[in-house]
Parts: sequence; C-alpha cells; structure tokens
Amino acid sequence: MENNRPQGDAGNGHIQLDLHGREAIFSKLSYQYPLKLLSPRIAEQGVAIAYVLTYGGGLVSGDRINLHVDVGSSTSLVMLTQGSTKVFKHRPGVRLANSYTDSNPTSTTTSTIQRMLATVYENAFLILLPDPVTCFASASYSQFQTFRLHRGASAVLLDWFTSGRITRGEQWQFSRYYSLNEIWDAGTRMARDSLLLDSEDSQRTLKERLGIYSCYAALFLCGPKTKHMIQSLDEEYQEISVYQHASPPDLIWSLSHIDGEGRVVRIAGKETELVKLWLKDHLKGLEDVVGLDVYSKTFI
Amino acid sequence: MDDQTESYLMLLLADGNLPTGSFVASSGLESYIKHGFFGSSSSSSPQPVASASALVNQQVVDFIQDSLNSFAHSALPFVSDAHKVMEELSASIVDGIDEDTRASRRDTALQRLKSLDDLYHVMTLNDPLRRASKSQGVALLTLYSKGFSKPRLARPEQQLRDEDEHIHKFVETFKTQIRREETHGHLPVCWGILTAALGLGLERSQYLNLFLQARSLLSAAIRLNTVGPYAAQQILLHSVKDIVDNCMSCKNIKTGLRWENPESEVQDVAESEECVASTWPLGEILAARHDLQHSRIFNS
Repeated sequence: MENNRPQGDAGNGHIQLDLHGREAIFSKLSYQYPLKLLSPRIAEQGVAIAYVLTYGGGLVSGDRINLHVDVGSSTSLVMLTQGSTKVFKHRPGVRLANSYTDSNPTSTTTSTIQRMLATVYENAFLILLPDPVTCFASASYSQFQTFRLHRGASAVLLDWFTSGRITRGEQWQFSRYYSLNEIWDAGTRMARDSLLLDSEDSQRTLKERLGIYSCYAALFLCGPKTKHMIQSLDEEYQEISVYQHASPPDLIWSLSHIDGEGRVVRIAGKETELVKLWLKDHLKGLEDVVGLDVYSKTFI
Repeated sequence: MDDQTESYLMLLLADGNLPTGSFVASSGLESYIKHGFFGSSSSSSPQPVASASALVNQQVVDFIQDSLNSFAHSALPFVSDAHKVMEELSASIVDGIDEDTRASRRDTALQRLKSLDDLYHVMTLNDPLRRASKSQGVALLTLYSKGFSKPRLARPEQQLRDEDEHIHKFVETFKTQIRREETHGHLPVCWGILTAALGLGLERSQYLNLFLQARSLLSAAIRLNTVGPYAAQQILLHSVKDIVDNCMSCKNIKTGLRWENPESEVQDVAESEECVASTWPLGEILAARHDLQHSRIFNS
C-alpha cells in the first residue's frame, strides 16, 4: 500500500562497519529523509556508535524506514537513538484538512513501518539500545527486525515501548503496535518474537489489558560476549523467591532461554524510568566490552 | 465424517479426565495471582462497590479473556496449519497409489509438521510454557495411540480401512520422533494432528481447542481456590462462550511458514492485519515467572 509521498529511496539507510587495523571505521553510512544517521567520534578501539534519528524527532503514518546494518568481523557497533521514537498519526504542525492522508480513504490503515536487517559477522558484536517507542493517540506502528549472527558473533538487542504521551494524559490510545524480532544464528532461526497490540482485537481495551504498567521491554542476549552478563542475570533470577504479593510490584522481569546459549529478558515497569534504571544497571557488563565512555552514552 | 460422529468425537475430546483437561498447567494464572494481580482493586472492575466475590469472578473472566486472546493469536494458527497438513495427507494417500509415492507424501507431511513444531518452539520464548506444551503434546499423541485406536474384540465389527491404517502409522512415526527428540512435540501441533487423525473438521478442532484452553484456566482457578466449582460453571456457561466465539476470529490466521523452504523467513506480514503474535506481554512475563514462586501447585 504505497501513498503519494516521495518514494524510491525515502527512508533507506545503510550502515557498514569494518575493522581497519585496530580502528572500527564506517565503510558506509548512508541515509535518506526522513532517516538520519550520526556517528560521533569515540576513542575506544574496535568500537563505533551510530545514532539512528529521524527528522522532527518522530515518524508519521506512511513513513517507511529501511535500515541495513553490517557489523564487520571483530567490530562492535552500538546503535542508539536520541529520545524516544515518537509515532504520530499525522505530522505535527500539519493541519488535518491539508494532510495528504486525510483525503486518502485508506489513511486509517496506513501505518508507520520500520525495518532493520542486521548482519553480525564473525566475532562481531551488535549492541542495539534505542530509547523506547512511544505511539501517540491513533498511531499505527509496525517494526520488523531481523538479526543474522555469524559464527562467534554476539548481540544485545533491546526492544521496548511505552503507553503513550503521558504528559498529555494519553495512555494506551494508539491504534496498533506490532513488533517482530527474529534472530538467526549461523543459518538457524533461534528466536522469533512477535508482539501485537491491537486496540480492536479484544473487548478489553489496551489499558485494561496492560495498564498496570506503562513500559514494557524485551531484551535479547546472544553470543560469547554476553556470557558474563547472562551468568549474572541467571544468578540473580534464580535467587528470586516469590511469596504472595498483596499488590503487583512496581517492576517485574522474567528470564527465559533461547536455544543455544541465549536469553530473553522481559521487563515491565510502572514508569519508563524504572525500566531504564533496571536496564542500565543490568547491562553494566557492557562497559567491559565497549568502554566506560561509550556506555555512559546509553540510557541517558 | 458425518455430523453426528463429529459431535460424538467432541464429547469424547471434551472429557476433563483427558490430558486435554487441566491438572498440571495453569498457563500463568497461579503466578499472576501470586504476584498480587488479583489483590489490587483492578482498574477493570466495572463497579467500585461490587462484592468481593463479584470482583474475583470478574478478574477471572478478564484473565481468561486476555490469556485466551493471546493464545488464539499465537497457538491456534499452529493447530490450524498442522490440521491442514494432516488433512492433505489423508486425501493424498488413498488407495490406488504405489507405496513409493505414499512414502514420499508421508515424508513431506512429516517434514512440514516438524517445521511447524520448530517454528512454534522458537516463537515460544517462555520456559515454563515450553515445558508444559511439550509434555501435554506428547500426552495427546499417546492418548491417540492408546485410547483412540480400535479395541480388541472377540468379534471385531469391521476391519480398519487402509487409509486409517496409514494415518495411524504416521502418527506413531511422529510420536517416535518426539521420543527421540528429533522434534519437540508442542501441544498446538499435536492437537492439530490428533483431531485431524480422528477426522474432526478444522473449525470444530479450533473451537474445541479454544474452549478447552479456557476451561483449563477455570479448572486451575478452582484448584487454586480462587473461585468455587459452581461459580466456575456459571462463568463457563455465561461468560466463556462469548470469549471463545470472539477468539474464533483468529481461525484464519496462518503461520506463514513457506513449505518449500522453512528455513527462509516466514512470509512477510508487513501490511497484514493478521499474524501469529502474542498479544498480552503482561501475561507473558508472569507465566515465565512461574518457577520463581516459593511454593506452587502447578507446573506452569
């Protein structure tokens, strides 16, 4: 379902990181409106940061982002955003009457779509730590992420969302949120995590179903470089012993196995900040891999 | 199969004493309650002045609704696809074809069922749920071979038809593969196999699957002393029917697996409204935390 926005390469991006000597260098860093990629210089050897941004700090219905990522052998790529990814039904500032979507009868089903295909080559490490996705009222958002890990490759992948624009009292008022994460290890599908929040597929509203928490996260850890983090997560999780609660805790998390040596952690918190603090604390092990300086740029 | 025979089969399969009944699995209900989610005054309670028992009944109904909705989006498509593989197999191994052709069709069907089983496995990223699904799955196939095969009688009424004989052997083969750990034997796949092998039509198989899942949640609620047996019966009669009927809207969702190449990506669900997905991340976390309970009645 295409609309009449500029098509072709719009929203396409390509990141390729390769090792030259001891330096991780972007062989490719290309992007098209509304996507923008930035890479600050950092001192850590073999490590690079890419910020994935959008013009105006958000996405509107009809926007398509297509990102290709190649993390070259023995490099580490940290992918971040600046502030949550806001998904609007309409471009802010555009009056509804003038909006192209308004005259389009299919506008109600035109969603915002982000795709990412990331290949992590031998002994490389992809660290994907974006801010959460925040869908505003009536927004419809789909995200498809495929991660292909080669031998010895590692990945820490965070995928999270909030209930909406709380400052305006907008909670769980988006129309549809879909997120798919698929992880392949040397040609075998290890995990396919598929989540659909559709305001219309149940007699219960999203708020009734999920409202006790306002932020939900899924975190995937795979590969040798995540071994220590997994070990300490396992230990902490096994220590938990649940007795009868009088009311739900402010934050809960679960840990499950991905075949092989991977884990998936799911977290829910009454506030986004609680989840963020939990993540920052539990991913501290990344400091050993990417350095203190780089890690300090995450979860801010 | 004529309508009356199908109805008779439904009666047999709905028996609470079969492994289809719930004596081991609470599908996250026990953990949900233990974490205090029934303790707080739920935002969904329609009247703030409702009596305590009315409130608990409502919370059980709400849990069934949210849980079954996710089940219908994530497990039911595997029932549907496995059932179709079996129906195609039955239709393709009728008399008049040589044994080689028959063998190759059996292999194809076996391969497809294994692909479905694999896909369900990598989509079920939840340790207690995976465990429960595997033990109930193989129990269903054992039920088929031990409980639903022809009885030995002194005066057999009729010979088994050739076609039934083939299907029976085929199910045995799949069961052997589960025992050898060549495939997982997950519950939705095995339910599809069992019901199709018995000749129950797809739609009735789906409906019964949803009904049994809902009823098993109610059985768990009784065993957890959350509702009494009479209240559960009232809920089953007056509330669950609508929930099951609504969940039948998922009956056409397909897994999207490409038979020619199951290792390829699952069919793109980009713009499609219907896809295999979990729809209740809150329930997912609590179900995964099942094993953390200090004391527990159920296995999942």
